Order: sequence, then C-alpha cells, then structure tokens
Amino acid sequence: MMKKPVLGLLAMMMLGAASAALAADLKAGEAKVKAVCQACHGADGNSQNADYPKLGGQYPDYLAKALRDYKSGARKNPIMGAFAGTLSTADIENVAAYYAAQPAVLVTRH
Amino acid sequence: MIRLSLLAAVLMVLPATAPAQAPAPAQTPAPAQAAAPAQASAPVGDSAAGAQKIEMCIGCHGIVGWRTAFPEVYKVPKIGGQHEAYIVRALQAYRAGERSHPSMKAIAATLSDKDIADLAAYYSGALPKTASK
Repeated sequence: MMKKPVLGLLAMMMLGAASAALAADLKAGEAKVKAVCQACHGADGNSQNADYPKLGGQYPDYLAKALRDYKSGARKNPIMGAFAGTLSTADIENVAAYYAAQPAVLVTRH
Repeated sequence: MIRLSLLAAVLMVLPATAPAQAPAPAQTPAPAQAAAPAQASAPVGDSAAGAQKIEMCIGCHGIVGWRTAFPEVYKVPKIGGQHEAYIVRALQAYRAGERSHPSMKAIAATLSDKDIADLAAYYSGALPKTASK
C-alpha cells in the first residue's frame, strides 16, 4: 500500500534531477571553470599534470557526483574539498556539464 | 687420543656451527623482504600485461554509457586516456579504503601493486597500439 506513493515520489525526484541536469547552463559553467577549476584541470579539462585528472569529455553525472562527494566530505581530498565547498548545487551541474562538453580526452577502452 | 680429540673437535665445531646456521635462515629472507617493498613501491607498468588483467574492469568501464547500480546511479567514469599516475593513485586509494565505492574497493583489494601498474599503463593509453600508427 505504501509502495506506490514512495515509487511516485522517487520518480518525481528522478525527473527533477534529470531536468536539473538538462537545465545546466554551459556559459555559467564555463565562467565557474575559469574562475575555480582551470588552474589545475585546464579550461578544456585536458590536464597536463598527472596530479590532476583529465576531465574533458567525462560523463557529466559522474563529475557532478564526484563534486557532491567532495563537497559533503564523503570523498576526502583537502584541495577538492575546499573548492567543491564553494560550489552551489547549480554550480556543480553547470561545471560538470561544461567539462563533459569539452573535446573528449577520455575514452572508453575495451 | 686421536679419536678423543676428533670427538672434541666435532663437539666444539657443532655448537659453533649450530648458532652460525641459526641466524643464517633469518638473515636470508630479511634482505628479500627489505627489497620487495622497494620494488613493489614503484613497479613499472606493462600495458600488454595490463590488457590481460582487464576482465574485472570491462564489465563496467568497457561499456559506453554503463551505469552504476549501487549505492548511487550515475555513469561509470571513462578512464581511457587518464593520467597513468592518477589511475595508480585511484586504485591504491580504493584498495586502502580511502575511496569508498563498494565494487571498486572489493576489486582493488584483489590487485597487487604490479597489477595496478599494469592496468594503469593499459588504460592511460587512449588508443590501441595499432590505431596510433
């Protein structure tokens, strides 16, 4: 009896998350990347320093998840924790969408 | 008298050799143990060897757009072309429990330092060798 409303709520939350991702603002993401991220990861995500991972062409939902985990402290890194802590939920979606839209320096190998 | 002196000589030698042998086995593994971590701390990655070790990786990382199922749903990251040293650190962090994805922790726990180096060498090469020619 309780399952259907819960499922409905879950579906609404997932739709909400999907529309938030769709609504990502690439221009705002670019501005945030240039202010916060590019010094280490590069403006196009093609980091030339192995201390910092390449991000260009990475899946946006993975990038957003990583940033949320850094922000919450679930993923611990002093540098990324500090930077992600300055990002709002919208910033995270925008930055993730921007790097995902850059030329793919990352590929799926199999 | 000769037999007695022989016996005495044997008796003198025996206790002398016994302690000499005792530390020997203890010393022999010691340098090996000391050398092993030094070698293991920076094994050289072999891309071809790594290609033989990807069975546990390709089920998720080898499929375009594949999604995680637990504990959160998102696309499994692309790792082809990533920095070799970054992949090494990521796998070491999962193995050490510093990064906490359940599947990655479980898989990384089975990897040796050499396995990690080989896999990093394989995945950091973005293109198959034949394609780069």
